[in-house]
Amino acid sequence: MTEYTLQAKNLKKRFASHEVLKDVSIKAKKGDVISILGASGSGKSTLLKCTNLLQYPNGGELYFHNEQIKFKLKNGLMVPVDNKQVLRIRSKLSMVFQQFNLWTHMTILENVMEAPVHVLKINKKDALERAHTYLDKVGILEKKDAYPAQLSGGQQQRVGIARALAMEPDILLFDEPTSALDPELVNEVLLVMRKLANEGRTMLVVTHEMNFAKEVSNYVIFLHNGLIEEEGNPQKLFNHPNSAKLNQFLNVMNKS
Amino acid sequence: MNFSIVIDNIPLLLDGLWVTLHLISLSLVLGFMLALPLALIRHFKVPVANQLIWGFTYFFRSTPLILQIYLIYYGTGQFSWIRDSWMWVILEKAYLCGLIAFTLNTAAYTTEIFRNALDTMRKNEIEAAIAFGMSTWKAYTRIVIPNSLRRSIPPYSNEVIFLLHSSSIASAITITELTGAARYLYSKYYDPFTPFLAVSLVYLVIVFLLTYIFKLLERRFLSYLSINHESTKKLGDFGNP
Ligand SMILES: Nc1ncnc2c1ncn2[C@@H]1O[C@H](COP(=O)(O)OP(=O)(O)O)[C@@H](O)[C@H]1O
Ligand SMILES: [Mg+2]
Repeated sequence: MTEYTLQAKNLKKRFASHEVLKDVSIKAKKGDVISILGASGSGKSTLLKCTNLLQYPNGGELYFHNEQIKFKLKNGLMVPVDNKQVLRIRSKLSMVFQQFNLWTHMTILENVMEAPVHVLKINKKDALERAHTYLDKVGILEKKDAYPAQLSGGQQQRVGIARALAMEPDILLFDEPTSALDPELVNEVLLVMRKLANEGRTMLVVTHEMNFAKEVSNYVIFLHNGLIEEEGNPQKLFNHPNSAKLNQFLNVMNKS
Repeated sequence: MNFSIVIDNIPLLLDGLWVTLHLISLSLVLGFMLALPLALIRHFKVPVANQLIWGFTYFFRSTPLILQIYLIYYGTGQFSWIRDSWMWVILEKAYLCGLIAFTLNTAAYTTEIFRNALDTMRKNEIEAAIAFGMSTWKAYTRIVIPNSLRRSIPPYSNEVIFLLHSSSIASAITITELTGAARYLYSKYYDPFTPFLAVSLVYLVIVFLLTYIFKLLERRFLSYLSINHESTKKLGDFGNP
């Protein structure tokens, strides 16, 4: 049996009567870099948040390293049965957020050490070493004593990536990591992400950066109307899209 | 103006100052300790307890402090079951009644200050805490509460100064704090101006020091919170002609 780092089967998610995910399945093997495309409001963030249970889905199955997450149905919502299981799995899926979501009352160093120390319970000395390693990797070590508000968006997002890496997770989830950035700051973040992909890290990337999706990912998913409209390898998807919707989406994206 | 009144009675005034300072610092510490759990109960809307605490803060924030003090000092003496109980040992003592009134009063205001800060915590940061595998308890103790306490510093500094000023009401139930000492000198020498002016200057100096301390705390703990950067923009910062 193939081991999937992360697998979601037939996910359904609705907000009140609004069906955001109708039936979405994704799977990521070790080393996969999967780009998720789709218009704004197509459910990309919701899909990511269902995989780490920031949102509870209304239906479907979730597996982490082929271990099924146990749910019980409660008022139509799938609520996890085993809280410990959820916390353990979340600590192995690290998320990078569109708005960075850094902890504003902590320095950069404290941001990166926080979860390793208080979630993984590794000792402070090792966490400090980790924090240095990953801040250095994203090229922002010299700002370690600054506070998030003192950094540019691009710098904050690199800290967000270092914070995610410091958990030494099995999979990285990126939710439009460059969408909140001024255009001139986008590249510094994309460069870091390319480096991570080249290291063979497993990544799920929601993005509007078509070049990144085309050049870096080995699989692309196009979400439309709560369903996967088309998926496959990037060469095929970008050069010969089957679906008219994807074609239209790519035309719009290429113009901007 | 007769400064010898002040100079001759420095020990009395210092005693008054001492009573003021430990009355308010003790009520602030106790009020703070009460306020944090109460604010969390309000924030989490724990059924029943939330409504009770709402009633408590509503009462203490919408009635005059002097009535609250009278109620605790005189009012409780009306009930024989209180007079006959162990509580009477506490309640008959003016200082303790004042302390209880001030503690409950500041607890009420501080509860609402903290609750407001907790309710307005940026959802982004909680989302990140949960995404990294923190339990709700961890997310609150590590992220939400520390952040909210920092954002409470400016309104809380107002509360501290408010309580300092209110402490002069304690003289109404025979506690000889700073204002009470000045009132005593007035009745003794029939000179209201000198003692009240002297005591005003003392309040002024205390408020000045408190303001300074809170400014330092703000600079140390608050200045870099991005929310604060936004909210402290002056009209001139917008390039308005
Ligand atoms: N917490 C929520 N409550 C209600 N509606 C939501 C919530 N989160 C997302 N939605 C709705 O679900 C749809 C998909 O949202 P989202 O997953 O954020 O889209 P995307 O990330 O692709 O832009 C949108 O219409 C959005 O308004
Ligand atoms: Mg989104």
